[in-house]
Amino acid sequence: MSTSDSPREGGWVAAAIGPALILLLLTAYIPIIYALTLAFYNKTAFNPDMDFVGFKNFVWLLKRDDLWMALGKSVVFTIGSVGFQLAFGLFFGLLLNEAIRGRAIMRSLVILPYLLPTIVIGLVFRWILNPEFGVVNQILLSMGVVERPINFFGGLDVAMTSIIVTTGWQYGSFAVLLILARLQSINPRLYEAARSCGAGTWRCFVDVTLPNLRTTLLLIALLRGIWMFNKFDLIWIITKGGPLQATETLPIYVYKIAFQDFNFGRAAAGCFVMFVILLAVSIIYFKYFNPTKEIEVNR
Amino acid sequence: MTAHFVVRWMRFMWLSVGMIFVVFPLYWMATTALTPRAELFKPPYPLLRTSYSLENLIELLSATQFLTFLKNSLIVAAGSVCINVVAATLAGYALSRFAFRGKNLFAAATLWTYMFPPILLAIPLYLMFSTLGMRNSYSGLILAHVSISLPLNIWIMWQYFQVVPRSLEEAAWTSGASRFRALCEVLLPSAMPGIISAAIFAFALSWNDFAFAFILQTDIGMFTLPVGLATFVEQSAIHWGLIMASSLIVSIPTFALVFLMQRYLMRGFAIGK
Repeated sequence: MSTSDSPREGGWVAAAIGPALILLLLTAYIPIIYALTLAFYNKTAFNPDMDFVGFKNFVWLLKRDDLWMALGKSVVFTIGSVGFQLAFGLFFGLLLNEAIRGRAIMRSLVILPYLLPTIVIGLVFRWILNPEFGVVNQILLSMGVVERPINFFGGLDVAMTSIIVTTGWQYGSFAVLLILARLQSINPRLYEAARSCGAGTWRCFVDVTLPNLRTTLLLIALLRGIWMFNKFDLIWIITKGGPLQATETLPIYVYKIAFQDFNFGRAAAGCFVMFVILLAVSIIYFKYFNPTKEIEVNR
Repeated sequence: MTAHFVVRWMRFMWLSVGMIFVVFPLYWMATTALTPRAELFKPPYPLLRTSYSLENLIELLSATQFLTFLKNSLIVAAGSVCINVVAATLAGYALSRFAFRGKNLFAAATLWTYMFPPILLAIPLYLMFSTLGMRNSYSGLILAHVSISLPLNIWIMWQYFQVVPRSLEEAAWTSGASRFRALCEVLLPSAMPGIISAAIFAFALSWNDFAFAFILQTDIGMFTLPVGLATFVEQSAIHWGLIMASSLIVSIPTFALVFLMQRYLMRGFAIGK
């Protein structure tokens, strides 16, 4: 392809790219730049003027134990959730890769949760894990596994685990999709070769399957990692960060500064922190996986 | 032979356990939604229900604001789909057919936008829309939803236009068609699957969104379904039968999508948050 040489082509490019460019500027880039700028200003709901305060919002934020606790919760949540999703993905990916009767329907069912609205997942899990009327507690009680119902989302020690399992249920299928796609592209000759050298099922898995899945697993961990780190909706719908601050991750904390304290400058400083983390992960993503290259190749 | 048999049985057992974990919450949602009112307040519930009724669904439609939320959801999703289809088709066309300065930057920036978390955009949008008087409006929420769906849709359309051979278009040119006519009459029909998936994706993200609607819409009359449903839990007059009935209805587009597009989905559905 040559660069657009004629002015007519230039007009076409402008007309075709224009709407998308303007929309992205208006709805994504200007808001982000605004939020990053706001971090250096004092702006609250009660003070309509913006006063420049330098790093004051950051100093305030970084001195808060709440911030460090939220960061810690985010890390625990991200690692737990991504780990669960990878396990879920490997479990179903490997099992559904084999020829079994009903495989098509099972695959569809496994993908379903991923496409369900988050509100549905939040409400359904609140209902089945409800301490009073929840079916899971009902089963556990009748089987004698527990003596008293477990307060899954309300107990200080179990709330985070319950949220992690819920996100694993919702997003695990993302890993299943990617892992299945990768498994199908592994050359069957590799397995034949391994078997002819006397490898059993386990050795085949370790020596052929896992090395071939390495990049896929990394990609899932990276993308899902950054998305789980910034997860707001599901946690808010289920626990609002509670009980106390047991599930108060960074996005929840930032939301509370903005809409419970109405201090937008400080919330913007929180956004700044989130943005820096996002930036770091996306640099790794673009350097390591170079997604732009992949798409330019004609299929 | 026996070892093989054991492996097959183990696989079957594990798969059954896994499938129960996946399917049970959905089964329980549907069962609760269809439980007769009288039995709803008498736990424990049987795992297999024999009596079903539509009472909850009827009460949901007649005694709550469900229909208002539904209307708002549909309007916002329709707006987002229209804007997405037009903007993404045009941008995908430009990216696949022209070389221009800043193309790679535009492509990378677009993909990067896709990684932005809603909460990071929603806080500044809340302030901007407050100033512009666009909070609690359809247009504001539509624009917010475009910010999360347009980036990936541009990529989807870019991919689809690459699959359409250039020779098709060039043949149209040589027979005297203008670039615009060739685009409309040759390229667009061939790129239809891409346009449809872009529309579906835009609809799904808008329909599913909680964060933007929750932050931008503060007037209950402007709530979309996800935000409206979240308020149900706080209202003592609304019981779990109603909540599960509403969850069931909100899930219908997802069920329809998965079962209509099984084969397509397996080829790798677009990456979602």
